[in-house]
This record gives sequence, structure tokens and C-alpha cells, in this order.
Amino acid sequence: MLKRISKKGLLLTASFVLLFFAVLAGCSPGGSKKDGEWAGQTVNVQLIGDFSMEDSTNPITGEKIRGLDVLKEEFEKQHPGATVKFIIMPWDGYTEKTQAMLTSGEADVYQLPGIADFAAQGVLEPLQPYIEKDSEFSTDIFIDQQVESWKALGPDSKELEMYGLPFLGDARFITYDKKLFDDWGVEYLSEHPTMEEIKEKSAKMTGKNPVTGEQNYGVWFRGDWSSAFTLLNAAEGIGGRWGEGFAWEDVKFEFNSPEMVEGLNWMLDIQQYAPEGIVSNQGNEKWMTKDNNIAIMLNSGPGNLVQQTHTQGLEDRIAIAQEFKNEDGMGGLFAGSPIAIGKSSENKELAWEWLKFATSDFAQKYFYETGVFPSIKSALEWEEVKQYDDLLGPVFEAMSTPYTPRYHWAAGQPRFILTSEIEAALTGKRDAQEALDKAQKESTEWLESR
Amino acid sequence: MAKDHLKVIAQPDQQVPVGSHKQRKRKVQVTWYLFLIPSFLGILLFLVYPIFESFRLSFYQSNGTIEKFIGLQNFQTVLTSQPFWNSVWNTFYIGIFQIAIAVPLGFIFASLINSTPKGKNFFKVIYFLPNVTSIVAAAMIFAFVLHPEMGIVNYALEAVGLPTSKWLSDPSSSKWAVILLAVWHWIGFIIIICLANLQAISPEMYEAAKIDGASGFQQWLFITIPNMGGTFAFLLITGWIGALQRFNEVYVLGGPSGSPARSIQTMGAFIYERGFTGFEFGIASAATYIMFMIILVFTFINLKVSKMKL
Repeated sequence: MLKRISKKGLLLTASFVLLFFAVLAGCSPGGSKKDGEWAGQTVNVQLIGDFSMEDSTNPITGEKIRGLDVLKEEFEKQHPGATVKFIIMPWDGYTEKTQAMLTSGEADVYQLPGIADFAAQGVLEPLQPYIEKDSEFSTDIFIDQQVESWKALGPDSKELEMYGLPFLGDARFITYDKKLFDDWGVEYLSEHPTMEEIKEKSAKMTGKNPVTGEQNYGVWFRGDWSSAFTLLNAAEGIGGRWGEGFAWEDVKFEFNSPEMVEGLNWMLDIQQYAPEGIVSNQGNEKWMTKDNNIAIMLNSGPGNLVQQTHTQGLEDRIAIAQEFKNEDGMGGLFAGSPIAIGKSSENKELAWEWLKFATSDFAQKYFYETGVFPSIKSALEWEEVKQYDDLLGPVFEAMSTPYTPRYHWAAGQPRFILTSEIEAALTGKRDAQEALDKAQKESTEWLESR
Repeated sequence: MAKDHLKVIAQPDQQVPVGSHKQRKRKVQVTWYLFLIPSFLGILLFLVYPIFESFRLSFYQSNGTIEKFIGLQNFQTVLTSQPFWNSVWNTFYIGIFQIAIAVPLGFIFASLINSTPKGKNFFKVIYFLPNVTSIVAAAMIFAFVLHPEMGIVNYALEAVGLPTSKWLSDPSSSKWAVILLAVWHWIGFIIIICLANLQAISPEMYEAAKIDGASGFQQWLFITIPNMGGTFAFLLITGWIGALQRFNEVYVLGGPSGSPARSIQTMGAFIYERGFTGFEFGIASAATYIMFMIILVFTFINLKVSKMKL
């Protein structure tokens, strides 16, 4: 009897718990709206980075950052009946998470830094038809080079197509500390420095600072993760290139070209003016602080540049020069994030509306506030940008002059092969020629085995 | 009252027929099997299915959505890949030295703690603390501890007049940085396991040895160590399995390619690099099965060497 009661009770309890959660789920907000032009439609938006739905505090500046609710409210106001849902993920492991989401069709809109890989899988919607039928929209709003550079090959296409709109901007440039230049009596970097200029000035500023007595280093660059980009840019500055082709069957690497070897030898030369830990991403701990001990920072990015400069009171110290450019004025890593529509999206028209909204002044200003960089030309006219024109002017210039065709292979094995061999050279395991010959051989073999 | 109750039960017409009793019993069993379904489904979905799916993928060229059957080509690619064998070497190198240093050292510490008249629990807690720390967090801190210019280890070495090292910035010393971290993290566990065994050794054996005139060292050598065989075998096998699967700390310290110059890239990191940064799921799956075979063979050898029964 007792057994029967306890069994019945257990089943009743389990049923009650299930019912309770079902009621809770049913009562929770997020259900589709029934009125308006976009009634019942939902757009699921995947975003990568430190975004938050609620207001938060910038850990660097201490200033309040508005939550994504601001965008949700505005978009839903502009599109009556529509609902926006965000899926936020960190940068760590974003590629595999995005792959899983795209495969399962979890979102409608995706932020896709590695768009070339996904477009080739046929999981993205081509955007040209949407642009053609939308008279309100023009790709002229974007900073030069951005639209062209994000084009990718579809699974069956022979020519590059547009699968994503430029969403978050990014660029690479050379940053330097004017105070250290002043202390050492060295002339500031020119707007477009050469490799020789960097080497010469780094050499002059390495040692005990004549004013403070602190140990200074002339230069710093990452010797591990992004060293391939530093090398490629050095080679571009003297007329070299990574190779050619976009579709894997057309790609030919030129990792051991004379320009690449010269670039790596230059890196080996300037390494003596850098702290010991560059190969393990160490030695730059004081950079962008008042106690900074590094004169020139290669391959810098714009993330939190303004906020950190402002917070640390470095407005008079931090300056920017362009990376090395080739004869056509192009050079450096093309980076950033486009946004794209998933092929499996059930609300593609609404997703397209989100794409336009995300690249509008309203949304781009919001993202700029959160510390990421805009991708539209009109940003140059914003008051928030104009007040830091000294810093941001060169950043926008860098954004419009990266090397194209971009390093679309950089998410895969060739980048890891090249990076490992640069590390081998920087740590004295091989000389520049041997290291790059090995990188070329292994990358070519990898291409052939695909 | 109790008598009446017995009477009621004893009445023949009230007895439950044999068939329905069996049915009820079966029904009860079915109910409990129903409760097992969620966890069983979990095992099927998240363990069994991935194992078979990974095996299937190892015969395909796959980027997650587009697949092409290529037979044994992935296995051939992995087995002829220099970076893979480099990762095997790194995994074994770090594993051998981690076990060779941590197990004897942990046993010595456990013996010392066991012979301490006071503060045993204090020492147990102190030594066990690193083991409860997340290995990811510990690896991040170790990167600072082993900083070539600002690190406390180099500072200490310099203070006593010993040569300093570049640690993680040099392929020849980076593996030792990982070994140092691994030993530091694992030793607390070894101490606790050894202490449990030490406390289980009969005191009468030591008393008898003392009467026979054995010194403290002789007691340790001839009573303690022979009685620790099972524990050493357990530590050897679990240590090796953990060492062969090493990923977290090398990923934090050297990224997926085990910087610098692939010097700390383990088999786990090699699989991650090919699978999750390059979308080469076929290669990653083949490498996973090769790693499984290596672990299987090595564990079998370990079992034979340590004479441990499964």
C-alpha cells in the first residue's frame, strides 16, 4: 500500500513539476507579436563579443554602456510586430560555435569574421538580390574597400559574391609613444614609415631611458599568434604578397618569396630591440599605461584604443602611423566582421531588414559606444569620432587601405604552418630561408591533400 | 488488530493470483527503467553517438556540412604528418617527466606528512589546494610566474645566482614550463592518495620491525614502499591517461598550435587545431582514433608492467 502511494505520489509530483515548468515557459516573455506589418516574425541575431542585453560598466573607463535592449527596442519600433532575439557568444571558440549554429539553423543573422569558409559550404544567403530590389539601400555607405574585401565564393560560384555586409570595422596600424621618442630625442615616425625607419628608430630607443632611467624597448610585436600578419605586411611593403587565388584549387602560396625572406630577416633583426617574451605574447604588459616602456607597437588594432588612451591620460602620447603599403597604397591585414543571413532562415526579409538596421547610423553609433569600430563612412562626421580625430583619422585610413585579396586562408592550416615556422625562426631553431621553405612546402602539401 | 490483519492476508480467496503478481512485478521494474531513460538517452546522444559519428567522419573529407568519402586517406595524412608525430613526442615527453617527478615527490611528501606528529590536516589542505584550482586559471597565472623578465621564478633563480630561463618563449624550455605546472597541479592528489594508503598499513608491522632493530629508513624502504604497490599502479595508470589526453593547460599557454614552434602542442591540441580551427573534421577524427589506439596500447602495457588487475 505504502509502495503504491509513494509511486503514485512520485508520478503526481513529477507531473506537477512538468506542468509547473510548462506554465512558466508559457508565461515567459518572448512570444510572437500579433499586430503590425511584421506580425509573428522573429529574427534571431548571433553576435560575437562582450555584448550584454542589460546596461553594464566599461571595465577600462568605468563609463556606463547601454545594453542591447536599446537596439531591440528601436528595431521593434521601426518594424511593428517583429521580435528580435540575440544569441551572444564570446570570441573564444567562435568559429566552431558559429559552425554548429549554422549547421543547425539556430539563428537568422550571423556575425561572420570567417565568412569565406561558410559561404563555400552553401549555408549563407547571397545578398545581391536583396540589394537590387531594395531602392532605399546602397553599399556606398561603407568605408572604401570594405564591401569588395568581404566578398566570397559560394559552393558553385566562379566569381566572388556578396554574402555579408561590412558590420564591425577593424584595421592594423603602427602605434607609438611620443613621450619615449621625446625622451630619447628621436624624431616621430613618419606617416608611412619604412622597415628601415622602424629598425633604425627602435635601435635608438632600446636601453636605459636617458630621462627616467627605466629599461626601454624600441619595438614590440607578437611573435606567436599574429606574427604571420606582421611578416606578410613587411613583405607587402617591399612588393611581396602572400600568394594568389581565392578558391582552394586556385590558391598558390608565395611564403618563401625573396620579399618574405627579407621580411622575416627584418623581424629577426628588430627582435633584438624587443623584450624577451614576444614569442609567448609577453613583455608588453605596460603598453598603454603611464609606465609604458615600449616605443613602437607593430600590428596594433583599434579595439578600445580611444577609451584606453583617454582613461590613462595618454592623449598627448599615443600616435598612429600606417603599416607598410605597396606601390598601390595597399598593405596590412584586412579584418573586422561582416553580417550575413543564414540560408535556413525562415524570415529572410526581416533578417535583411536587420542587416540594414545594424549598418545604420543608429546601430553603428551604439556599437562604437561599446568599444568596437564602425564600418560606415558617415562615422567620420560623428562628434564622438571628430573629437579624437588625431587618433581615429589614421585608423579610418588604415581601414580603407588593407591588402586585398585578403588572407582568407588565415583561419586554417596555412596560417598555423606559417606562424609555427616564424616562431621557429624567432627562437633560433631555423634561419629565415629554411623556415619559410618549410612553411611553403607544408602549405603546398596541405593544399594538394585537400 | 495484528491478528485480524494476518487473517485477512491468509484468506485464500483474497490471495493475489500468481500471474498478476508477476505482472505487477514487471510493471514496477518497467517504472524504474523509465527513470533510467533520461540518463541513458544522454549517454547515447552525447557519448555513444559521437564515438560512432567520429569513426564515420574519419573516412570522410568533411568541413561539417560538405562531405566526401575518401577511405583511409585521413589516417594516412595523420600518420605521415610531421606535426602529428611532433605532438605525440611532446605528449609523451611532458607525461613521462610529470609522472617521474610528481609520483616519487608526492610519495615523499606524503611520508613526511604521515610522520608529522601535529598539523597533518593543515599540510594536507595546503598541498591539495593546487589540485582544486582550475587548470585553466592556474595556467594563466603560471604564464606570469614564468615571465622571462618579470616572473617570480626567474627572480628567485637570479637571487640565488642560478641562470634564468626564457621558459615559454623558448622551445627548449617551454615543455619544462608545462611539466612544472603539471607537477604543481597534480602533486596534491598524489599526496592524498598516498596518505590514504600509508594510513592503511598495519602499525603492527612497524612495531615488529622496530623490535627487530630496523631503522626508520629501513622501515620505509622495506615495509612502506612494498605496501604502496597498488597505489603506485593506480597513479601510474590514471596519470598516463591524463597525460595522454593533455589539452587545457597547453592550449592556454601556447594556443592550438602549441607555441612556440609547436613545442608544447599535444595530441589533444593537434586534434583541436585541425578540427576546430581549420574545419578538417575528418583529419581530426582520424587523429582521435589514432590517439585512442595509442592510449589503449599504452594503458595495456601499463597494466602489465604494474601487474594491476582490471
